[in-house]
Amino acid sequence: MTAPPARPGLRRVEQIMGTAISLDLADDLPPATLHELAEETFRWLREVDARFSTYSDDSEVCRFGRGELLLSEASVDLRRVLERCADLWDVTDGFFDAYATGRLDPSGYVKGWSAQVASDRLVAAGAANHCLNAGGDVRVRGLSSAGGPWRIGVRHPWDPASTCLVLTGTDLAVATSGVYERGHHVVDPRRGEPAKGLRSVTVVGSDLGLADAYATAAVAMGIAGIGWLDRLDGHLHAVVTDDGRLLHSTALPVDA
Amino acid sequence: MRRALLAITGLAASTTALVAFKGAPNASPVAQDLPAGQATATPGGAAPGGTSGPAPSAGPAGSPTARASATASPTPGARTSTSSGGTSTAAPRTTTTAPRTTAAAPTATTRKVTGPVISNEYGNVQVQITLSGTKIVNAVALELPDGGQSSLRSDKVDAAYSGTSGQVVQRQSANLDTVSGATYTSNSYKQSLQAAIDQAR
Repeated sequence: MTAPPARPGLRRVEQIMGTAISLDLADDLPPATLHELAEETFRWLREVDARFSTYSDDSEVCRFGRGELLLSEASVDLRRVLERCADLWDVTDGFFDAYATGRLDPSGYVKGWSAQVASDRLVAAGAANHCLNAGGDVRVRGLSSAGGPWRIGVRHPWDPASTCLVLTGTDLAVATSGVYERGHHVVDPRRGEPAKGLRSVTVVGSDLGLADAYATAAVAMGIAGIGWLDRLDGHLHAVVTDDGRLLHSTALPVDA
Repeated sequence: MRRALLAITGLAASTTALVAFKGAPNASPVAQDLPAGQATATPGGAAPGGTSGPAPSAGPAGSPTARASATASPTPGARTSTSSGGTSTAAPRTTTTAPRTTAAAPTATTRKVTGPVISNEYGNVQVQITLSGTKIVNAVALELPDGGQSSLRSDKVDAAYSGTSGQVVQRQSANLDTVSGATYTSNSYKQSLQAAIDQAR
C-alpha cells in the first residue's frame, strides 16, 4: 500500500469496550495539540469502559446493579445514563431495555453516549473537524482532511467487506445495529426471543447515544420498527429487511 | 477489487491495533497515532469480550511491544515512530529493549509464520506474518472471504426480490472515510494473526 502525501490531522485506533474505536482529527493543528486531544479522548473512553463495563465485577455499573451502591452515591455520569435509559425504555415502548438480560446492562446506550460526549469535548477544545467511530457508531463533524463532507459507509448486512449505502454530512451521528455481528443477539424484550424481520437498522440524528439506542430498539421491534422509525422526530433512518430490501427516509443524506 | 482493497485496509488497521495490543498482556488499550496521510482505517468491530478488562490505570511500564514494525507503511510523521527519540506520553509504545522472546535475538533472519485457518459465517481467514529477527515486519491475509458464501447469499436475495417494494440492497463503496456497523471477519483475522504471533515465539 502506498501512502498518499501527508495531510493535516491525526488518526488513532484503540481497542476499548471490546471493540475498535478510531479517531480521525482533520484539523490542521500542531502535532502536539492533536496528540493531546487524542490522548484526552481515549482517556475518557477508557474511563467510561472501566466504570460502565458489565464484564468487570467491580465497575460502578455492576456494583450499582448488585445494590452495593445507592443511587445517591452514584457518579453524575451513571445517574445521567440511568435517567436516559429510563427515558429510552419509555420512548421505545419497552423495546430498549437496559434490564433485557436480567440484570442492569446499559451498554446499548453507553457506547454511543460516551462517543458523543467525546466528540462534543473535541469541538469545545477547538477540533471542529473530526470523525469518531466507536465500533461502528459514528459521529462526524465539519469536513474531512480531504476538504469535503465526511463519507460514511453503511455496512452491507451480508457482506462484511462491503457497504450498501453511503451517507455524507458535516454534522451527523450515525449508528447501525444489526443481527449480523454476533448472530441474532438483539432480543425482543417482550417475547424473550431473538428479534426477526430487520437485518440491519441505521439511525441518523444529532446525538449518537440516542441514535444507537433507537437503532437497537427498532431491530428488536422487527418489521413494526419501520413504522416506528418513520414517526421518530429529528431522526432519519435506513433499514435492510431480512429478505434483502433496503428502505430509507427520503431526506436521508445518501450519496448519489 | 475495490472491496478487497477496502477489506485489506481495514484489516491492516486492525492488525496494527492488534499487534500493538499483543505487547500489553494486561489488555490495556494501546495507543497509536497514524499519520493522517495513510489509507483509511475502517475500524473493524473487533472481538466481543476481548478487551473489557479493567483497563485504564494499568501500568504500561515494561511491557515490550511488537508494534512499530507491524505497520507495513513507512511512517513519515516523526511522532509516530517512537525510536526517534520523540518523547511520547502514550507509554506502551515505547520500545523497551528486550522483547520477551528467546535468545535467538540479534541475527536478523527473515522468516514467515502462517496462522491457522479460522472460519466464520462468511468463509475462511488465514494470516501470515513475516519476521525479521523478532520483529514483525509484515502481515498479510492469505485467505479472506471475498465473494464466497456471502455473495452467494446476496445474489440469491437480489434475484428473489428485485422489483418489489423497497430497493434491493446492493453493494456500494467508494472513497469512504469510515463505516457504520461493525465487521465480522476482523475477529477471525485477529485470531489467526494471534496464533501466528504465538507460533513465532
